[in-house]
Amino acid sequence: MIQAEHITRRYGAFEAVKDLSFSVKIGEVAGLLGQNGAGKTTALHVLSGYLAPSKGTVKVNGIDLQNKPREAKRHIGYLPETIPLYPEMTPLEYLRFCCDIKAIHPQDREAHIQDIMALTDLSQVAHQSSGTLSKGYRQRLGLAQALCGGPEVLLLDEPTAGFDPVQSHAFRKLIRRLAKKHAVILSSHLLSEVQEVCDRILMISAGQLVLDRKAAQGSDKKPRFRLVVAASSALVLSPIRQLPSVRRVELVGKSSPEKTTLLIETTEGGAFQHALFRLLSGLSAPILELSPLGDTLEELFLRVSSDQMPKEGP
Amino acid sequence: MSAVFRRELRGYFLTPTGYLFLVVFLALSGLLFYLNNLLTRSSDLMPFFSMLSYVWMLLSPVLVVKLLAGERQSMTDQLLITSPLSSLAIVLGKFFAAAAVLLIYGALTLVYPLLVAAYSRIWLGEVFTAYLGFLLQGLAFVALDLMVTGFMKRSASAVAAALGVNLFVWLMGLLSVASFIPSAISRIIAFFSLYERFVPFLSAQLSFANALYFALYSAVMLAVAIAAMELRRVKTT
Repeated sequence: MIQAEHITRRYGAFEAVKDLSFSVKIGEVAGLLGQNGAGKTTALHVLSGYLAPSKGTVKVNGIDLQNKPREAKRHIGYLPETIPLYPEMTPLEYLRFCCDIKAIHPQDREAHIQDIMALTDLSQVAHQSSGTLSKGYRQRLGLAQALCGGPEVLLLDEPTAGFDPVQSHAFRKLIRRLAKKHAVILSSHLLSEVQEVCDRILMISAGQLVLDRKAAQGSDKKPRFRLVVAASSALVLSPIRQLPSVRRVELVGKSSPEKTTLLIETTEGGAFQHALFRLLSGLSAPILELSPLGDTLEELFLRVSSDQMPKEGP
Repeated sequence: MSAVFRRELRGYFLTPTGYLFLVVFLALSGLLFYLNNLLTRSSDLMPFFSMLSYVWMLLSPVLVVKLLAGERQSMTDQLLITSPLSSLAIVLGKFFAAAAVLLIYGALTLVYPLLVAAYSRIWLGEVFTAYLGFLLQGLAFVALDLMVTGFMKRSASAVAAALGVNLFVWLMGLLSVASFIPSAISRIIAFFSLYERFVPFLSAQLSFANALYFALYSAVMLAVAIAAMELRRVKTT
């Protein structure tokens, strides 16, 4: 199990990752979803111990990654976006090196490597120079190195980038198999991949976790709206909450006297819209935008990509 | 640490760059032996060792650059840093691999004293102290260059920076004897000059103080390289 507890990573004044908290258990595949530059790779760098968090802690099987890095890193397998290969080494030599740096006992090493090579289908290129491998084999070799030492936690950064559809399908099947014995966090900007492979979605935007929910979670059919109103939250928030068809109102971002953005969950749509127009008209608060929200992954992704929304429960 | 050591050492002898480095070193050392001994029919090997130390000073950045800066450039450092290895084990593994290359290359130059011994008389104690000085100074340059290149991300700029630092350290020896430098400053400069520490070894003086100085110098440089690696994980700029 891996737990991120309020992790923040700064580069100067820029916060690449902000107050990120979640945990992923063994048997679970979590998809870290977000646009390019959303902070996915930085988050994985912090979770893998490559970078230290500016704030917060990462725990792997209860072991603090900052305080006991060597112990915690034994439980992590990390496949970076750029596969860390040495072109002069063959896959077999490379995996032996990976086993050695992960302190696998020499007596167990060869059998362990054979298991990993069979699992990742690398046996036929075992003696070929890594520098001459195809993209697909390089990616598999990257995954194989992450599996060395039998870590419980797998962190995979864009693992199917550059794959053709057949390779992607095979790789996804492999990840599903691995999920039985591992806690997997897989970063991607491909919605279809995340929907196919993951049990859970962690959506990240501008470094913040904006959505944490089950991948298979369907729409609850409750109408939701995004409201942008030219008034302060102090003026509109409380009266909107008191409307009879409103179930929940959440403030998005910071409110100003000129603009407040709200996410509103209602029991039914039509009566709510009438009541809202009457209410805001009475408050002299012009509506700048009122848009119904869908609940598919693609809609959620597009929504958080254009704006930020508060966390939902898993 | 031993896994990193073995990988790096193999890398030096499995890549074209490694062989190119070996060819350049042997060609330059052969040229120096020819100019200092064969051409002048001299059995005095000390000028050869003195100039061999300059060759190592110039070649050391090329040997060392792949160890830290090269790993950062190819992003293979992610494999090492996210493994259970400590920064100490990573840096020492790499240092000892470069040190082993220095020893192997040094051993290859034994052919020159053997050639002289075949046709003339050599004093073994003198050759031994010269080799010891060459190796200790060479290790200090390796540690210094490992430290300097550890701060760089691009191999080309890392080589240039390490070469610049090596030349500066060498020039410090010349500065220490310059007439316009006050004697107090001269002594300080001489203290930090690697070349000045090497000179007694060329006079067959087995100086424990200078040997200790080289060892401490290397240890301090490696400690800075390790600290730099740790700091890079937490730095925020």
